[in-house]
This record gives sequence, structure tokens and C-alpha cells, in this order.
Amino acid sequence: MTTTRNGILKSLMAASWLVAAGLAPAAQAQEPGLTDTTIKIGMFAPLSGANMAYGFDVANAARMYYDKINKEGGIHGRKIEVVLEDDRCNANDLVAAVKKLVEQDQVFLLNGGSCSAAVVAAKDYVVRSKVPMIMLNASGDGALYPPTDYIFGAFSISQYAVGGAMVEFAAKTFGAKKIAYINHDDAYGVWNLEGSRADAEAGKVDLVVESISPTITDVTAPFFKLRAANPDVIAIVTYARPAALLIKKAFELGYNKPIILSVTGTANLAQMAENVGGKDALKNFYVQDVLADLPGGPKIKWVYDMYKAAYPDLAAKPDHPQAYMPYGIPSAMSIVNALKEAGPQPTREKVLEALKKQNFDSGVMAGPVVFGPTERAANKSTIFIKYDGTNQVLQPGVFTSRWKYKG
Amino acid sequence: MDFELILLFLQQGIASGLVVGSVYALLALAIVIIFKTSEVPNFAQGEMLMAAGYVALYLLVFRMVPAWAAIPMTVVVAFAAAALFRRVVLTQVARASGSPVNLVIATLGLSYVLKGLVRQTGFGDTPRSFPSLVSTESVMIGQASVTKLDLTILGTAVVVMAAFFWMFGYTKLGRAMRAVGMNPKAAQLVGVDLNRIHVIVWGLSGAISAVAALLIAPKLLMTADMGSVVTLGFAAAIIGGFASLPGAIVGGFIIGIVENLVGLFVSSRAIVVAPFLAIMLVLILRPQGLFGGRVMIKKV
Repeated sequence: MTTTRNGILKSLMAASWLVAAGLAPAAQAQEPGLTDTTIKIGMFAPLSGANMAYGFDVANAARMYYDKINKEGGIHGRKIEVVLEDDRCNANDLVAAVKKLVEQDQVFLLNGGSCSAAVVAAKDYVVRSKVPMIMLNASGDGALYPPTDYIFGAFSISQYAVGGAMVEFAAKTFGAKKIAYINHDDAYGVWNLEGSRADAEAGKVDLVVESISPTITDVTAPFFKLRAANPDVIAIVTYARPAALLIKKAFELGYNKPIILSVTGTANLAQMAENVGGKDALKNFYVQDVLADLPGGPKIKWVYDMYKAAYPDLAAKPDHPQAYMPYGIPSAMSIVNALKEAGPQPTREKVLEALKKQNFDSGVMAGPVVFGPTERAANKSTIFIKYDGTNQVLQPGVFTSRWKYKG
Repeated sequence: MDFELILLFLQQGIASGLVVGSVYALLALAIVIIFKTSEVPNFAQGEMLMAAGYVALYLLVFRMVPAWAAIPMTVVVAFAAAALFRRVVLTQVARASGSPVNLVIATLGLSYVLKGLVRQTGFGDTPRSFPSLVSTESVMIGQASVTKLDLTILGTAVVVMAAFFWMFGYTKLGRAMRAVGMNPKAAQLVGVDLNRIHVIVWGLSGAISAVAALLIAPKLLMTADMGSVVTLGFAAAIIGGFASLPGAIVGGFIIGIVENLVGLFVSSRAIVVAPFLAIMLVLILRPQGLFGGRVMIKKV
């Protein structure tokens, strides 16, 4: 009996020694997507289909940033290896892509999502799998609030902040006391309206709200209702198609007060100018943007130059780089920063902790990337541009929503 | 809401409703003529409209074909493509199984094929504007504001519908179509070629869709999903009584006006729901539709 007990004790001591000496590196080696020389990042974006404009070049921007880091020697000696999947901005395709990247490709972390409704569908799986997911340019507020330990996003801007910043701009620039506010009648619309109400209340601005379906075909009724309210400004917080129908209707009816369009509807401004009936419809028209400067402006010219160098064939095509291209940079920057800060032996947990502490100016977006213990939306600031169908003129100031997550 | 505003909304709702309703009525007419002759609801009707719209866009914008040539070319292409689908695909499907369900599935297949084809061309990736062939300058009718384009849409739709009613009532072809709709076997016995009639009906349905596309496209933006507007055509057909041609027309106008009045007096959120509430009401109160005959139970 004593002999047996001694034997057990010896075995336990040997096991402890083994754990101390050898198993810790073994556990390290088990961290998926990580080798001594590489870190595997799973990316997903709409690479084809009708919503390609929302993410194709955004993913390209993130990839070119990773290439730049690799050329500079990588992160703690490890090169970034990207596996890229097409999610078509469709919830089913996106979840399938995420599962493939996590289970088959065994990536270390995920970097993807350009469309909010689709990316939110992956939330449960990502949280259950405990894989860090850093969105590309989707707002994805539904996956960001309430905050989880695993999902970070809104590098373009949080939907809550989109509406709030619109109200802030209308009140400060035009002295608007009554704003006609048109949003979608879905979760997207609810989020941006909540942010708008916070800013409207603070600025003592009256909001007249019309919520419309994203698939609306006839905007006569909502437009007439808003016009009847005699607002100082019309704020359109919809996708490009309903926005174009509303601007066209305003032009047909001779409406000449300022119209402000949110960043959600600005994927292709040249096409929009054509769709609304030409330049005459855009005489008093402003668009929201989340970049630090005009697209291609001096502050962010380096991003466009980098794109031309990385993708010369694409850059030669007329529709490239797509409008949202620069949004991919801050997302990739956050990942690179967090990986650096996680040290030479990174784990997913260490990277997640580092992500929660990110607070830096990307030099690309209107505001800094700021995460926190309960903050998962990177950006809340916007700029505004007067657009007449050809020229873009930057309006003075950066406009930030007052909305805060209350828990 | 004061009385002035109520009056304005009422006039505007009716005027705008008549305009969009006329297009829904055309779509409902296209759906009903196929259903009457073959008892197959054509679930590709919206995509036929969408594809015809893209054909017109391609001719007018990308090939710079003048409108006087592009419009008839679009209508002819739509007629030929729909007739060919009936002749080649549906005839084969009917011969192979004989079950109407398979025919319905074949129309669903066509809808996916057309959507896929348009996406494949790359034209459907971005919402595009269709050039308006008529001025979009506003015209006041009472207090309601409509554009010259709106008036053209309404006028053209009414002329097309009148032409079809004349054809059904006063031509040999129209009478043959009605005969096939009433009793195909009897029609065949008196010498009507069923296949020929089915092919012509499908062709005409395609042509009507093309006209509807040419009318509505300048008001909507062109996308590969624009065919979803056909849901309102189906709603119009159900309200009118699925097998009734006048019912389809009236149903279209009802849907258009209800949509606009609900949007103005209730809520913009309710616009999408309004046609379906109207369908439910009609199905509860008058299941055969406003113009449908009495309900008949077929013996099995």
C-alpha cells in the first residue's frame, strides 16, 4: 500500500515536472493558426454579387496593409498569412465562410464583414468558438452591443453614431431646429434613430421621422409627409437606392432646402448623381463620410498610392478603388497593433485583451479608433462634403455623435 | 392634421396611386392571361419585367439605339423570349409529367435564370437609372403634384389595357384565347390549336411585362431585384379575382391607391404591409376576389 502511495506521489511529481518543463510550449503550439513563422488570419468580404462595392476593395486594403507589415519583417518574426472567403454580404454565405475559416483553415483570428445584417448572423458562432473577430467595415452594431469579449467592429462608424453625427452637422452648419429624418424600418434604422434622438435632445432639435422599407418602390407618400412638416433640413439615412429615389422626388417637386445623405448611401456617388436625374438635383446636397479627408485628399493620399502600387491592374479600372476602400486599413492596423502588444507568444486571449485597449489615430478615418472595457465600436466621428454631382468640397469640422452605450 | 392637409394628402394619394396602380394593373393582366389559359401562376413575371428593362437599358444607354427603335425592339425580344420559354421548356415539362406543379417550378427556375443572367452581365451590380423618355417636370392636378412622366405612364398603361380588351373581345385570336381559358378540351374540339395559343399568350404576357418595365423603370432604379415589384401585381390579381381580366385592372389601381393613402395617412412603415392587408381582407370577405365568379370545387 505504502509502495503504491509512493508510486503515485512519484508519478504526480513527474507529471508536474513534465507540465512545467514541456507541456506549456505544447499548449502554445496548439493555438490554432499560429506557427513559429506565420499567423493565419481568416478574412471574408463580398467579393462578388450586387454588394461587392461594400467590401471587395476594403478587403484588398486590409490585405495590402498586411503585405506591408510582412515586407517590414512581420510581427515578432511571424508573417501574416491571409485566407480570404467570399461572403456575398449574405448571412448564410457569411456564416458558412466563418465556419470554414475556423474549422477547416484553423485561423488564429477572423477579420471580415462588410455588411451589418450579414455579419451579425455570425455572432453566436464566433462567441461560442471564442475566436477573435475584428470586422472589416461593417457597422455590425447588433454584434457589438451588448459587448462580448470576442467581437470588435464599426471601423467605418457605428450606426448609432451615423444618425447622431448627421443631426449634429445639420444643427451646427444650418442652424436647423427641425430636421426631417428618413431611415429604414429595420434594426439598422432603429440603431441610427436612437443615436439621432440622443443628439437631437441634447441640441434641442425637433426630429420628424419617417421610416421606410429598404425595398420601397414609391417614395411619394413619405416625401410628402416630410415636406408637409416644413423642416429646415432633410436627413436621409438609407441605402443608396431609396436615397436616390428620395432625392429625385425632391428635385421633381422643386424642394430646395439642404439634403444630407448618410455614409450608408454613398457607395458610388457618380452613379448616384446619374440616378437622381443629374447635377440640378444636387444643388444643395451634402454627404457624410467617415474618412479623415476627401477621398484621395492629401491626408489619406498614402492609402490610395499604396493601393495603386499593390493592385496596378485594378487601379486602372474605372470603378476602382471603390469608395469604401480605405476603411480596411484601420481594421488591419488594430489587428497588427494587438498582435504586437500580445508579445512574441500570442494567444487569442492576449490579443483580445490588447484589442480592448486600442486607442490610436489611424490617420485614415475622421476619428480615432477607441475600444474600451465595454466599447466595441471603433469610430463615432464623421466629416461632411458638399457634392454637386462633380465636385466635392470638404465642410469645416468633424462631427461626433454624443450617443453612449448605457448597458 | 388639419382639413387642408387631409385634402392635399387625399388628392396626392389618389393621383400617385393611379399612376403606380396602372403599372401594377399591367403586371396583374400579364399574370392573369397566363393563369386563365393554363392555370399556372407565372412566378417569373417579375424577372421577365426586370430582364426586359435591362434589354431596353442596354439598347438605349450602352448601344445608343434611338428610343423609337429601342422600345419596339424590347417588346419584340420580350415577346419572343417568353414564347420560346413556353414552346421549348414548358411544353417539354408538361409532356414529361403533366403536373401543373412542375410547370410552376419551371417558372420559378426561369426567375432564377433571368436574375443570374442579368447579374452575370455586370449591369445589375449597381442601381442604375433608366433614361426617362418624357420630362419629369411637375404638373399640378388640383393640389396634387404629378410629373409629365407620371401622366404618360398612366395614359400608356390605359391604352395598352384597352388594346388588350379589344383584342380579347373582337378578334379571332382573342376569342380563341378566351375559349382556351373557359374549356381547353372544347376549344380543341372546335379546332383551336392549344399549343399555339399557349405560346402566343406567353409571348403577350412577356410583351406586357416589357411595356410595364419601360413605364416603371424611370421611376424605380434598375437592379437585378427590381422584379420584386411583381408581388404587387399578384396582389392586384388576387384582389380582382385571379381569373378576371377587369378584376386585375381594378385590383392594380386599388393597390396603388391604398399604398399611397396608407403611407400618407397611417405610416410609411405600413406601405409595404398595406397590399397584403388588402389581400387578406378580400380573401376573408370575398374569397373569389372582387370580380371573380362563384367559387367552384373541382371533382378529383
